[in-house]
Amino acid sequence: MPVRSPFSEGQILLPWLLPAGFLLAWLFISFIGVIPAYLLPSPGEVLKAATSYIFGEPGSAPYAGRFYADFCASGLRVLSGFSLAVLIGLPLGMLSGRVPFLQRMLGTSINGLRAVPGICWLPLALVWFGIGLKTTVFLVALAAFFPIYLNTEAGARQVSPLLLQAGAMMGVRRLRGTFAVLLPAAMPHIMTGLRLGLGISWAYLVLGELTGVPNGLGAVIMDARMLGRIDIIVVGIILIALIGRLSDTGLHWLLRTCFRSARRSA
Amino acid sequence: MSRYLQVVQKNPSTVEQPYILDVEHVQKKFGNGDIGEKLVLADIGFSARRGELICILGRSGCGKTTLLNLLAGFIAPDQGTIRLHDQPVSKPGPDRCVVFQDDALFPWLTVRENIAFGLKGQRISSAQKEEEIDRFLKLVGLSEFAAYLPSEISGGMKQRVALARVLILKPQVLLMDEPFAALDAQTREEMQNLVLELWQQLAHTILFVTHDVTEAVLLADRILLFDKDPGRIKEDIRLELSRPREKEDQNFLSLCRVIRAQI
Ligand SMILES: Nc1ncnc2c1ncn2[C@@H]1O[C@H](COP(=O)(O)OP(=O)(O)OP(=O)(O)O)[C@@H](O)[C@H]1O
Ligand SMILES: [Mg+2]
Repeated sequence: MPVRSPFSEGQILLPWLLPAGFLLAWLFISFIGVIPAYLLPSPGEVLKAATSYIFGEPGSAPYAGRFYADFCASGLRVLSGFSLAVLIGLPLGMLSGRVPFLQRMLGTSINGLRAVPGICWLPLALVWFGIGLKTTVFLVALAAFFPIYLNTEAGARQVSPLLLQAGAMMGVRRLRGTFAVLLPAAMPHIMTGLRLGLGISWAYLVLGELTGVPNGLGAVIMDARMLGRIDIIVVGIILIALIGRLSDTGLHWLLRTCFRSARRSA
Repeated sequence: MSRYLQVVQKNPSTVEQPYILDVEHVQKKFGNGDIGEKLVLADIGFSARRGELICILGRSGCGKTTLLNLLAGFIAPDQGTIRLHDQPVSKPGPDRCVVFQDDALFPWLTVRENIAFGLKGQRISSAQKEEEIDRFLKLVGLSEFAAYLPSEISGGMKQRVALARVLILKPQVLLMDEPFAALDAQTREEMQNLVLELWQQLAHTILFVTHDVTEAVLLADRILLFDKDPGRIKEDIRLELSRPREKEDQNFLSLCRVIRAQI
């Protein structure tokens, strides 16, 4: 008899256990009223604010119906920044994983830059790019670059020489070898890097939007703070968490659809 | 030492064939940092006839894999020349294919896709490719497992795939590096029979590295006995034992004994 985990029936439910518990605690706290509502609104209020924010008639109330425009603005920023990071980080990572000279040249600098907290770039980015799309895209691209580059580099470096020899003996040359052997062999690492990069993109999106841009999910949070609308702040946080999670699932799905090496690695 | 070898039957198929692979005065050193240089192969020279099955027999660390890497073109010799059909070997290519000591299948490709890998660049119609793939799947007995991933099949099956994916390229020389060392005795025997079967059907020139005397005597037309430190050919033994060979046969056993004493 195989030993069964008591949770094995509820494998699908398991990830929701913690959020559900959290929600219950939140309900309980707002019910007994130990924390005043202006610090932590009740779930009901937040739900109402969320409904209005997402589905409300624009103009009928502050924040009503703004979600779609904010989501598009933020989505565009994340997508542009993340794409830029992939475009630079992926080829650079592949190259320095395979060319020791490049690795030695770039490794120290990139690790040094990585140690600088992202927020330190904010003033510089503001001076360079002003407030808005460009600054946010810059910050997102910068933040997403490091996990993408570092994981791709590690993946490319760790590809078994045996696989490369096998490819070479079966007649694949440089360019085709890169796509037929190197890329798929490094795919598990690349996938990790891309997913980490996309995750951190959302964090830096908010940082970029805190600086006073008129729209976007981060801008809404900042705006709501000034107007004392804590329910909207909570709505913004939950939405970013949800969208971040969904975008990760989407990216994973996309990679698995496009690359069999992604599909067939655990 | 030939007086120990019972001549039961000449194997006329290979003796008359022309030489296709020539190795002359090949030397290879490895510089390993503080210890300085180590001479791994010293003055290796031999020629292989077309269709010949040569076993390279020697103790661990005597440079067998290094020699195969040189022949495959993965590394270059410090001195000496390697020529295939009078063309110097300079880089890896599908005319000299390797079945590696360790599993070197592409883990993201199915059995079928692994076998198809080398055909990609070739200019033959896709219908013809599919036909070839089917044929070689069948030859190594893996038709049923075409859709499996390498992680889902056994070690013996993996080496069958490794064999099929290179045989399909019709290599001039097949280089096999202790391909069955990691298999259990029964599977190894199956694989040895498979190699002999395929060799008789397809008539490849095979260089088969092993440290197992019985395996060498079972398979080889010729055994190159390697010495260690530095690696060099100590003895070039022609086996004239009739095929199929029986491991319990008196001649077979005495031959094994003689060779074992030499190592
Ligand atoms: N790339 C390398 N750099 C330095 N030394 C090496 C390298 N490759 C092999 N050697 C050395 O060369 C010697 C022979 O190695 P090789 O792998 O050819 O032996 P082998 O006969 O195949 O052994 P085994 O039966 O264990 O596979 C060893 O002493 C090894 O340390
Ligand atoms: Mg070896």
